[in-house]
Amino acid sequence: MFTPSSKYFVGLTGIALVSAILYMFLINPSDLGAIALFGVAASSALVAGFTLFTRDGDAFTDEEAVAAATYAPGGSIWPIVFALGAALVLTGLATVPVVFILGIGVLFGAGLEWTIQNWSQRASADTAFNSFVRERAIGALEYPGLAAVGLAIIAYLFSRIVLAVSKEAGPIIFIVVAAAILVVGILISQKPALRGRVTVLISTAAVIALVVVGVIAALSGERHELAVSSEEDHYSAEHRECEVAASEHYDHLANNQVSLRSAVTATIFVEDGKLRAQAIGIKKDIDTITIPRSLGTTVIFRNLDETEHRLVVNLGSHTVAETGVKEKVGTCTQLTGKKQEQALTLTIPKPATSEEPYFFEVPGIEGEIKLVVP
Amino acid sequence: MAIIERPSSEVATPAVVAPSQALGAIRRPVASKGWRSWLFTVDHKKIGIMYGVVAMVFFIVGGVEALLIRLQLALPDGRILSADQYNQMFTMHATTMIFLFAMPMAGAFANYFLPLQIGARDVAFPRLNALSLWLLVGGGLILNASWFLGGAADGGWFMYAPNSGPVFSPSNGVDFWVLGLQIAGIASLIGSINLIVTVLNMRAPGMTLMKMPVFTWMILVVQFLLVFSLPVITVALVLLMFQRSYGATFFDVSQGADPLLWQHLFWIFGHPEVYVLILPGFGIISEVLPTFSRKPLFGYPFVVFSGASIGLVGFGVWAHHMFAAGLGPVSVAVFSISTMAIAIPTGVKIFNWLLTMWGGKIWYTTAMKFAIGLVVLFTIGGLSGVTHSVAPSDTQQTDTYYIVAHFHYVLFGGMVFGLFSGFYYWWPKVFGKLLNEKLGSWNFWFMVIGMNLTFGPMHILGLQGQPRRMYVWTEARAGEGLFNFGFWNMVSSIGSFVLAVGILFFLINVVITARNGKQAPADPWDARTLEWLATSPPKEHNFDRIPVVHHLDEFFHRKYEEDPNTHTMRQIATGEELIRAEEAAADSDIHLPGPSYWPLVLAIGIGVLGLGVVYGTPVMVVGAAVVLLASFGWVLEPSVPEAIDYASPDGDGHSKEIATHG
Amino acid sequence: MDTVNNVKSSRRRISTTVAGLTGLLFLAGCATNAPQDTWQAKGPNAQKISDLQWIVFPIAGVVGVLVLALAGYIMFKYRDKGQPIPTQGHGKPTAEIILTIVPALILTVVGVFTFRAIFELAKTEDTEMIINVTGQQWWWEYDYPVQTELGINTPIISSGQLVMPVGTKVLLRETSRDVIHSYWIPALNGKKDAVPGRIHLLRLEADKPGIFAGQCTEFCGLSHANMRMEAVALSKEDFAKWVASQQKAYTSPADGTLAKEGETVFLNQCVRCHQVNGLKKADGTPALAAPDENVYSGAAPNLSHLMSRNTFAGAMFDLLRKSCRADVWDATSEEFGAKYLAGVSESCLNQTDLRAWLRNAPAMKPMYADPTKLTKTGGKYRGMPNLGLTENDIDKLVAYLLTLK
Repeated sequence: MFTPSSKYFVGLTGIALVSAILYMFLINPSDLGAIALFGVAASSALVAGFTLFTRDGDAFTDEEAVAAATYAPGGSIWPIVFALGAALVLTGLATVPVVFILGIGVLFGAGLEWTIQNWSQRASADTAFNSFVRERAIGALEYPGLAAVGLAIIAYLFSRIVLAVSKEAGPIIFIVVAAAILVVGILISQKPALRGRVTVLISTAAVIALVVVGVIAALSGERHELAVSSEEDHYSAEHRECEVAASEHYDHLANNQVSLRSAVTATIFVEDGKLRAQAIGIKKDIDTITIPRSLGTTVIFRNLDETEHRLVVNLGSHTVAETGVKEKVGTCTQLTGKKQEQALTLTIPKPATSEEPYFFEVPGIEGEIKLVVP
Repeated sequence: MAIIERPSSEVATPAVVAPSQALGAIRRPVASKGWRSWLFTVDHKKIGIMYGVVAMVFFIVGGVEALLIRLQLALPDGRILSADQYNQMFTMHATTMIFLFAMPMAGAFANYFLPLQIGARDVAFPRLNALSLWLLVGGGLILNASWFLGGAADGGWFMYAPNSGPVFSPSNGVDFWVLGLQIAGIASLIGSINLIVTVLNMRAPGMTLMKMPVFTWMILVVQFLLVFSLPVITVALVLLMFQRSYGATFFDVSQGADPLLWQHLFWIFGHPEVYVLILPGFGIISEVLPTFSRKPLFGYPFVVFSGASIGLVGFGVWAHHMFAAGLGPVSVAVFSISTMAIAIPTGVKIFNWLLTMWGGKIWYTTAMKFAIGLVVLFTIGGLSGVTHSVAPSDTQQTDTYYIVAHFHYVLFGGMVFGLFSGFYYWWPKVFGKLLNEKLGSWNFWFMVIGMNLTFGPMHILGLQGQPRRMYVWTEARAGEGLFNFGFWNMVSSIGSFVLAVGILFFLINVVITARNGKQAPADPWDARTLEWLATSPPKEHNFDRIPVVHHLDEFFHRKYEEDPNTHTMRQIATGEELIRAEEAAADSDIHLPGPSYWPLVLAIGIGVLGLGVVYGTPVMVVGAAVVLLASFGWVLEPSVPEAIDYASPDGDGHSKEIATHG
Repeated sequence: MDTVNNVKSSRRRISTTVAGLTGLLFLAGCATNAPQDTWQAKGPNAQKISDLQWIVFPIAGVVGVLVLALAGYIMFKYRDKGQPIPTQGHGKPTAEIILTIVPALILTVVGVFTFRAIFELAKTEDTEMIINVTGQQWWWEYDYPVQTELGINTPIISSGQLVMPVGTKVLLRETSRDVIHSYWIPALNGKKDAVPGRIHLLRLEADKPGIFAGQCTEFCGLSHANMRMEAVALSKEDFAKWVASQQKAYTSPADGTLAKEGETVFLNQCVRCHQVNGLKKADGTPALAAPDENVYSGAAPNLSHLMSRNTFAGAMFDLLRKSCRADVWDATSEEFGAKYLAGVSESCLNQTDLRAWLRNAPAMKPMYADPTKLTKTGGKYRGMPNLGLTENDIDKLVAYLLTLK
């Protein structure tokens, strides 16, 4: 039953399995080594399966011997692909690991394809039957593999395009492309005449377009805001500049829409140069907002004034351990334009001391709203 | 001969090798007896029986869990279980009963009888059928293995986020639960697609959809419900799995998540699931009631369409599980009304069953008793359901024992009684022996009395304010007087043991019947549908000749004929005669699928792959390798066992070949 | 014709009687005075629900009795008496349509009432008072935002018992610090979930002074069964007194007393999580509790004015001895206020449970408080750990806690 090369691969599988298990339990609980060894075991098991299955490509029955004798080798693309893989491996060793891994993948795939093709061409004297057994043996691996690679390429290029265009254009592109695919799909399913050449033509054109635009997009890089915000951490609490004037970093990408409504404890308004606040369940304006401790609570700031304002919350101060300097604690919203609003979510672990009460203020506007943590 | 030389025309006699030989190493198993014949079978009947056995085992497991719960709650401040154990117990009781007993047991009936009822020789995809059985077993084992691996899931079967997160449920129980359910979910999904295709494509000639038995119809509706609802729970489970195992924050409020997302996902699945559980029971008694009333089902199209509309509307009522969750009055009002609406088709069913019996000639067998039990108990459960479709009223009732009472009347009274009715009705068909009717009667009465003692008092407990899912109840909230919580909790606990004795009677009955039951007559109930045209137990190929269908209740109409003058029914043939006639006219060429190793191997691979989520990536790699291997085996195995693999070749002239699919 | 009608109406009478009798039997089977009985409304919101239930339940009862009576009749009448096999009729569409329309009509009636009630119960515009209710594993925190018209000039914080004035439309703003809980005082209203990250509104209003029991009804983990609550309704005058007492400044026990030593123990141990407003450290700085550093969910019950409450540990245990508790619970609505405001005196203190709690809290209430098993919470507790206090410390602490009026 076991042919010579299948014996080799079965043995390799066994050794890899044993060493993987030993590795896991004796040497290192870290996953990476074990995964590598298990990977070797899995792939050699696959090859072992194939060699067993094709009996090393050797003739087995009399009929097969005849077939082997009448075997007419056709053209094969696999030697050149195999060579390409080898080249990639070498390049990868010298340059980046991704190329090396890609090379390994190509080597493995080409080797497998080569073996199966070689075997199938000698399965019988009937070429139709031979191509049938080849499909049968390798198709289950080929199609999902190709599909995965294809989808990965499409997804990657498409993501590059959407990241490069402006925020508004992204969804439009998405909708248009999806709608186009749907329409083409319906057309093809309804008009059989369109199948065949036309479909191939359209798909080819689409793929070429995607590749060209995708590559251009990838080269031109992500859109400005994304590039800026990933370079510098402008949204974190440390970078907030809570002055009257516009902050160069914190304010210039403000998005004054609030969709969060489920945990709003109070709303603070600026109207006609005055500050006021409202809370659910209390009819008149309030001057004190009560927030339970250690509980994320949202306050909405709505600006009804002509000029831009921001809401600032002062949460006492703390002493920096290294320098002994007292620093103000607090945070703020971005500048909010007319009739726009922003949310501020606070989680306050401790009540204020009597010396340093907590309060909300709007720079440039008189008055304050007290903030109490019981 | 040199290899490069082209063949001359003389050698051109094509030396074609048979495909099975060329594709060599992988072979089909051939055992037709012994354990191998069960492990590798693709026969829908064997798979159906195995489904039944697995479900019964889990029924007992879930039942023991229920008894422990009732023991704990019999007295105030119970000490039988700790808080942790109790929370695991009620979580696993519900999960086991729903996913590992009710659904598989319905699956057992569906697998066994659906092809027989539509006159088919097997399901559409026999190997997938085996795969879904083994996946179910794998899922069940993973779920219950958690008991021994650090504790079972403890978040309730509804597993509300964020209480199911890694911090609030630190043991691995929820991980096993998530994986077990995902695997069992794959099983159900595969099974439902299989059965849908079977019903749509493999009905006997002449059997239009509206001539299909109601049981088959209800199973078809259930499969559609599964196809549309399982993806939703799968999404929810995947999100939870990523949250627990890979640091995602789908339900982490501090990262801006809204925990109600889980509730919506869960109940969009969870409510159709209720109908997934109940409709097979409805289907079974829609066979049993006409048979023992000697009348066709009253209003067949209405019963069919009410079943379908229950299924459809069932997708639009999920938020009635969330009336207290703060959805806002508009949503609550809409779901309140839609929930009331679903009571209408349900009511139609009850009236049709009653009117089926009206004017009949009722034969009170055990199967019939259970069927009537279902009608009565389900009516009670349905009406208590209407009381909490009224949303304000539900805010007082939800999460109390009133709800526990309600859904046990619906599910135990409705579904389990249906299944037991099915056991007694179809046992002679499956095993060729009649279950003992006297023991059956004991079984029925203990179950009815036990069920009402157990769940009846829960109505009172709930309305008087005893919440559910509490590991203890306290005397401080128990009220005064003779009929305080203590009294009713005790009654309920005693009732649960009466119920358990009832089920014990069934098990005893099964053992006794297996040992000394007599051979059942071919048509013991004077039945109505096609499955009785096959022998009992049916042959491997079900029907010697594929029947041609002319009537709803085809088998009955082959036996009886209406007297044109008196309009009474006159017997023209016995069931036995009809069966003999079929045997005499057997088809000469019957195609049957061959058994296969690969469903079992694939199921094991998927199970190991799942365990990798808990035990690390290397385990996952092993699982993936097995899955890959099994997929190749599945694709590459020959379509039939080779002749040389059989110890002695078939000599009876029937060739065994596979259908092209499978 | 007449006789037919008579027969019909007498049948109807019989079935109504049967339904009524079943209802009575059901009521007779109930406990008296169950504290969480959903049928004993003590406020307008619960009354609305109750009114609705008095429509739905009788309808369901009558329908149920009719259907079951019909089933019984059929089962008896059409048993196999040797009659011939009946004609194989397939049903009557008219019957089907009638049997579809009749339930639909009944449900429409129910639906109209339901619809109205849902929107009435959701009304919040005429609120007279708000209370923030925050759930946490496994207790409730109540804080009263500043509402000067009610005399609340500084926020009040409490736990275990919700105190509210009678005849006032109180709006609870519920949320949670960890998992989903559900707030339920059956005598006052249906339940409403407290969901982290959301604020849900629930309206309570009590007709008369008294104390009403409740229970967390959304499964919230290990000690879900022990997460109880009590709502206390006081007359408006008594409520004003209560508000004043809650805003009273902290007074440290006199030097040399056992209670003073207890304050030291408290400062050494308890203040890590439990705040007592106004308590100062030995150096005179305020003693600020830091539950956020020690408790996973971020808070622990504030113990200022502990002895003005009747319960502790998430209302699982009573601070009052059994007889004293019964005295408060059974008080008439006139006497109730005075009795409740008296708080917990030394003679009434439930020493057994309080001491056992201080000795080893996790043994009294299941919690995640084993210091060796806190890996997933970053070393923080979920519930009160065993502090390893000596009996001596416990004596001192109890003496101190008794001063927190």
